[in-house]
Amino acid sequence: MLSIPVKMAWRNIWRHPRRTLLTTLAIAFACVLLIFMLSFQFGSYEAMINASIKIHTGHLQVQAAGYQEQQEIRRVIEDPRAVHQALAAIPEVDAHAARARAFALVASQERAYGIMVEGIDPAAEAQVSTLPRIIRAGAYLAPAPDSEDLSGALVGYLLARNLRVDVGDELTILGQGRDGSVAATVVRVRGIYRSGMDDYDRGAVQIHLQTFQEVFSMDAAVHEIVVTTGRLTEVGPIQRALAPTLTDLANTHPLVSLSWDALLPGLKQAIAMDLVSGAISYVILILVVAFSILNTFLMAIFERTHEFGVMLAIGARPARLTRLVLMESAGITLVGIGAGVLFGCLITGYFATHGIELGGASDLFRQYGIPNTLYPRLTVVTVTAGPLTVFFITLAAALYPALKIQGLKPVEALRLT
Amino acid sequence: MIGNLDVVTMELQLAWRNIWRNPRRTAVILTAVIIGVWSMVGLGALMRGILIGMIQNNIDTLTGHIQIHQQAYPDDPAIEHSISDPETWMSAARDALPAGSRWSQRIRIGAVVSNARHTRGAILMGIDPAAEARLSFIGTAVTEGAYLADGDTGGILIGRALAQQFDTRLGRKLILTAQDSDGEIVSRAFRIRGIYQAEMADTEKGFLFVNRQSAQQLLKLGNRISEIAIRLPAHEMAVPVANDLKARLAGSPLRVRAWPEILPLLKAYVEMFDTFILIWFIVVFVAMGFGILNTTLMAVFERMREFGVLKALGMRPGRIVRGVLLETLLMLVLGIGAGNLLGLATCWGLSITGIDLSAMAEGVAYAGMARIITPVVWIRDLLRANLVVLLLGLLVCLYPAIKAARMTPVAAMRHH
Amino acid sequence: MGTIVECNGVSKSYRQGKLVVPALAEIDLCVEAGGFMALAGPSGSGKTTLLNLIGGLDDADSGTIRVDGREYARQSKAQLADLRLHRIGFVFQAYNLIPVLSALENVEYVMLLQGVAARERRRRAREVLAVVGLEGMAHRRPAELSGGQQQRVAVARAIVSNPSIVLADEPTANLDSKTGEGLLHLMQRMNSDRGVTFIFSTHDEMVMAYARRIVQIRDGRIADDLHKASEHR
Ligand SMILES: Nc1ncnc2c1ncn2[C@@H]1O[C@H](COP(=O)(O)OP(=O)(O)OP(=O)(O)O)[C@@H](O)[C@H]1O
Ligand SMILES: [Mg+2]
Repeated sequence: MLSIPVKMAWRNIWRHPRRTLLTTLAIAFACVLLIFMLSFQFGSYEAMINASIKIHTGHLQVQAAGYQEQQEIRRVIEDPRAVHQALAAIPEVDAHAARARAFALVASQERAYGIMVEGIDPAAEAQVSTLPRIIRAGAYLAPAPDSEDLSGALVGYLLARNLRVDVGDELTILGQGRDGSVAATVVRVRGIYRSGMDDYDRGAVQIHLQTFQEVFSMDAAVHEIVVTTGRLTEVGPIQRALAPTLTDLANTHPLVSLSWDALLPGLKQAIAMDLVSGAISYVILILVVAFSILNTFLMAIFERTHEFGVMLAIGARPARLTRLVLMESAGITLVGIGAGVLFGCLITGYFATHGIELGGASDLFRQYGIPNTLYPRLTVVTVTAGPLTVFFITLAAALYPALKIQGLKPVEALRLT
Repeated sequence: MIGNLDVVTMELQLAWRNIWRNPRRTAVILTAVIIGVWSMVGLGALMRGILIGMIQNNIDTLTGHIQIHQQAYPDDPAIEHSISDPETWMSAARDALPAGSRWSQRIRIGAVVSNARHTRGAILMGIDPAAEARLSFIGTAVTEGAYLADGDTGGILIGRALAQQFDTRLGRKLILTAQDSDGEIVSRAFRIRGIYQAEMADTEKGFLFVNRQSAQQLLKLGNRISEIAIRLPAHEMAVPVANDLKARLAGSPLRVRAWPEILPLLKAYVEMFDTFILIWFIVVFVAMGFGILNTTLMAVFERMREFGVLKALGMRPGRIVRGVLLETLLMLVLGIGAGNLLGLATCWGLSITGIDLSAMAEGVAYAGMARIITPVVWIRDLLRANLVVLLLGLLVCLYPAIKAARMTPVAAMRHH
Repeated sequence: MGTIVECNGVSKSYRQGKLVVPALAEIDLCVEAGGFMALAGPSGSGKTTLLNLIGGLDDADSGTIRVDGREYARQSKAQLADLRLHRIGFVFQAYNLIPVLSALENVEYVMLLQGVAARERRRRAREVLAVVGLEGMAHRRPAELSGGQQQRVAVARAIVSNPSIVLADEPTANLDSKTGEGLLHLMQRMNSDRGVTFIFSTHDEMVMAYARRIVQIRDGRIADDLHKASEHR
């Protein structure tokens, strides 16, 4: 059994069905749009983060302090085995792999380019990155360098095109070792991959870590140990668990752990900017909606001034009328938000499972690691953030007419029909 | 004619009075329209500003409006795809360029740069210092040391980010290694004459500048070059001038490209944003459309009796529709006018200093944007915003207008 | 019996732009508890103004008004609202029910304001509706009731809160004479059974005939004050 005030508010809401419908539609529209847009944004961020994390960066990396900024071949992890052991003991860690990197001139028969040479441990690397799964020609690296033949190498398809090499061709690597000595070797292209991110596909060659360490006079040292985990939220705990080991380990440059957002500061800031600019547009949009529906709230009191006069005459206090009007506005808003959330979730949910084909824009999005099909992410945040903002801004709009009642004089109200 | 004018004036007057019958209600819906239009103009100009900034950035950073290469170079930027006899071609092309155009010849080739402790890949630019300075950002970008002098064959300009990474400074030497035109690996030391700053750290790390002659010597290119870059007085000229050049250079081994061809991604970006701006306009309109419709409905239903009386007096339905639409039109014009003024004022205010995103420099670079965003008002965007609001607004209000006109006098009189 | 309403030198004028319209001038009036009084006078004489002032809906320019011994000028807005809620009932010329509530709910609403428990509310509302002869119409909305029925609901609403005094402004003006008489009988019964004081305004001779006291107002002044010795039957 509903109480009389609630009944009253509900019936008042539907006194003008057309008006109420338009008002709820406006609110619902805003909610649907916000839910979809936020889910779309978060979906694209996740795609961008995942692309970077899975292709290359990992969720976090252990490096020598300063390596991230300087990329200096001397800033190494001298004893990677100790770090691996510590990582193996942390339950949140899914996988970890060591890498070593250096810039070098890589030359084919006809061409030479200055690019990044990376030493990877094929078996471990397969656990932390998608590299083995994006080979388009040839094969992934064997677990260990071939003792009979030249050591194997992987190249991106764009680099292969620039170097004019194919699977089986030789590449000469000419660089500078850790000790400043000349580092030179010849490797054989074993596989060609395509990650979708042009910069990556154009800019690196992967060889066996063991070969790398020999050629670049690295001894057992590496530059980074890449760590992956199940969820982004576990990065913090892993870093905390790792901290004591890293401080205890003796290394020329102290060891640090860097989370994905420290490894990809541009990505994080770009996401932050996108979120902020999105938020600004959404707030403006909600303001437009709020003023759009403010008239409904205003009319709800101006049309009923006489009625309010009667209620005052029979002894209702002004505060009660304010409450009634606020309840009505909240009612309309909640109906709109309810409908908006429902349809917003349905529509977004549909796309979240079926994906949105990016079509002509996919070349563009690929630069940011977003694949051809984008899946919006429907989460508690994306579903509630928009509607909650709508609710509060709308109620703020409703407050003005509701407070106007406070100044209402019974006689004057009664004179109006 | 005068009689007609009289009628129009009267109808306008009537409509004007009608919209102010309930001033508070009109003020509220006007506010919605004003905020909406303001945001369309303002955010539209900001988006346009971001786009123009991106284009400007790219054009400043060595793209130029038009580039001329050897046919195969764009797809395979290798040293053997160089332009021989650039002077001959330049004299053929010169007439096609509008007054105020600048051009310069460049070597652009991938290289490895190293010092005792560091090595990385970069693009080696061989430039004519004087000509290049009038064309790309580098002329004004040197913040430490000096710009390249003509004939300074041993000097090099590097970016601040590279200097930091390499832990080096003015006066120190760097080794450049590249493949020469015979396919041999050659290297040579250059002394750092200047350190420049650019919009993006990637630019600072990625480009090295030396004199064209020293690059040609090092790479055994003779007088061959990689590209001719042309800067025009205005962005819009790029495509027509490029087409003219293409016609003139038809049959030559050269390929002429305007910036949209050089940067297809940027072009796609511009197009996507274009669509996005329009979608945003429509979304904002929908948000205010509900309010416009609702308010007009309220105003019409309050006056149903009046419409009934007018109809009973013999007013034709078409005239009632016109009357209601005229009121909507007046209201919209008012809101659009104020919204435009406010939007333009905001843009003007923001353009004095621009919005400085330096605090987010890495994110800005990641997104390919300029560090300082200045809103840019395009008449086309302005027209689109206004037309969306005006036309869709009138369209939406057709419903209440017809509703008013359809009401039979008796039903209307009973209405309260 | 004591005095329930006491007006001393009450004046009221309305301002219309620059024009000052005097509505009441120096009204002195005492009403006995349990009275059944008509306020008569031509249109524009100030009847409604006086009832509004007695009901605390408006402030007098000068003079004092006391109801149940409490002086209005000293009461806060909320206190005035409470006074209306517990001591005064209103019946207006144009029914003035709350359109979204049914007859029963309209009557209940006053008790809801008083904080009466739901069950008790319902019981008393039904009782009072039966008294005014509307037991079958409890769930109809005002729009579904005739004018006379609406006015009876209004009376029910006015008396259900057990007020000491009911102020009725031309309660019969919108009713035909038979319905009007029915309403007057009802008011009379309330007056005699429950001792509720009634002050009603009218310019209808027939209605005046029911009153035990008739106060004539002309141009905002009391022109005549007639106490009838015997009751009309
Ligand atoms: N709000 C107001 N503004 C201006 N003048 C008013 C106002 N209310 C009442 N008056 C004036 O005060 C005088 C008394 O009005 P009042 O309504 O009390 O008369 P009444 O006796 O109730 O008349 P009726 O029998 O027509 O209802 C009239 O002259 C009226 O014009
Ligand atoms: Mg009156």
